[in-house]
Amino acid sequence: MSDSEKWARWTLGVVALTIAAYGAFVAFLGHGPATFSVFALLALTSVPASSRRYFKGQRFDEREQQIASKANRAGFGAFWLAFCGLIMAIYFTKGWNATLTVPVWALTETLMWGFILIVGVEAVTTIVLYRGGLHA
Amino acid sequence: MPSPEAEIVNHIRRLRFEHGEMTQENLAEQAGVTRHTIMALEAGKYFPSLLLAFRIARVFGAPVEQVFEYHGEPR
Repeated sequence: MSDSEKWARWTLGVVALTIAAYGAFVAFLGHGPATFSVFALLALTSVPASSRRYFKGQRFDEREQQIASKANRAGFGAFWLAFCGLIMAIYFTKGWNATLTVPVWALTETLMWGFILIVGVEAVTTIVLYRGGLHA
Repeated sequence: MPSPEAEIVNHIRRLRFEHGEMTQENLAEQAGVTRHTIMALEAGKYFPSLLLAFRIARVFGAPVEQVFEYHGEPR
């Protein structure tokens, strides 16, 4: 198994752990700084060897780069779709001239969920491309 | 349109064995890629760039057309 695949599996584990911890914290504590702190778990996505290679400036070979690039595009594509979906949903439910009042926790948590969506889709795409091959 | 795997075949595995049973790791090191990429190439799951194809051919001391063959129909 390549470093990138290990990163992808590890990342999916971190995402699952974060979601589970978030659910537990919301159930017992509600929304607040304590619940928001569970998103710190996402820092664990930088632990695997592929991340260390990246931060040390070690190059990935051409296949790894192509897979990483496609996974990256898939992650941000999913984020863009979710963003457009959210905007459209607000537009259709509240109207274009509506004023929204959202608590700070909702805004910051939305950003974190966006990050989770990006890395989650990147990880799944990475695994799929390594499994199925990449005919570039 | 035919899939790439139907059009391009490579002889990397055979050439490795003809070159003193060269390991995938050894070939990967000399070609500047990871062993996983060599595995994907041998399995026909990945088709290399022209640069990598030439690098691999150079490791075997063979012209690139002896390592990779194109069987596609002319267009």
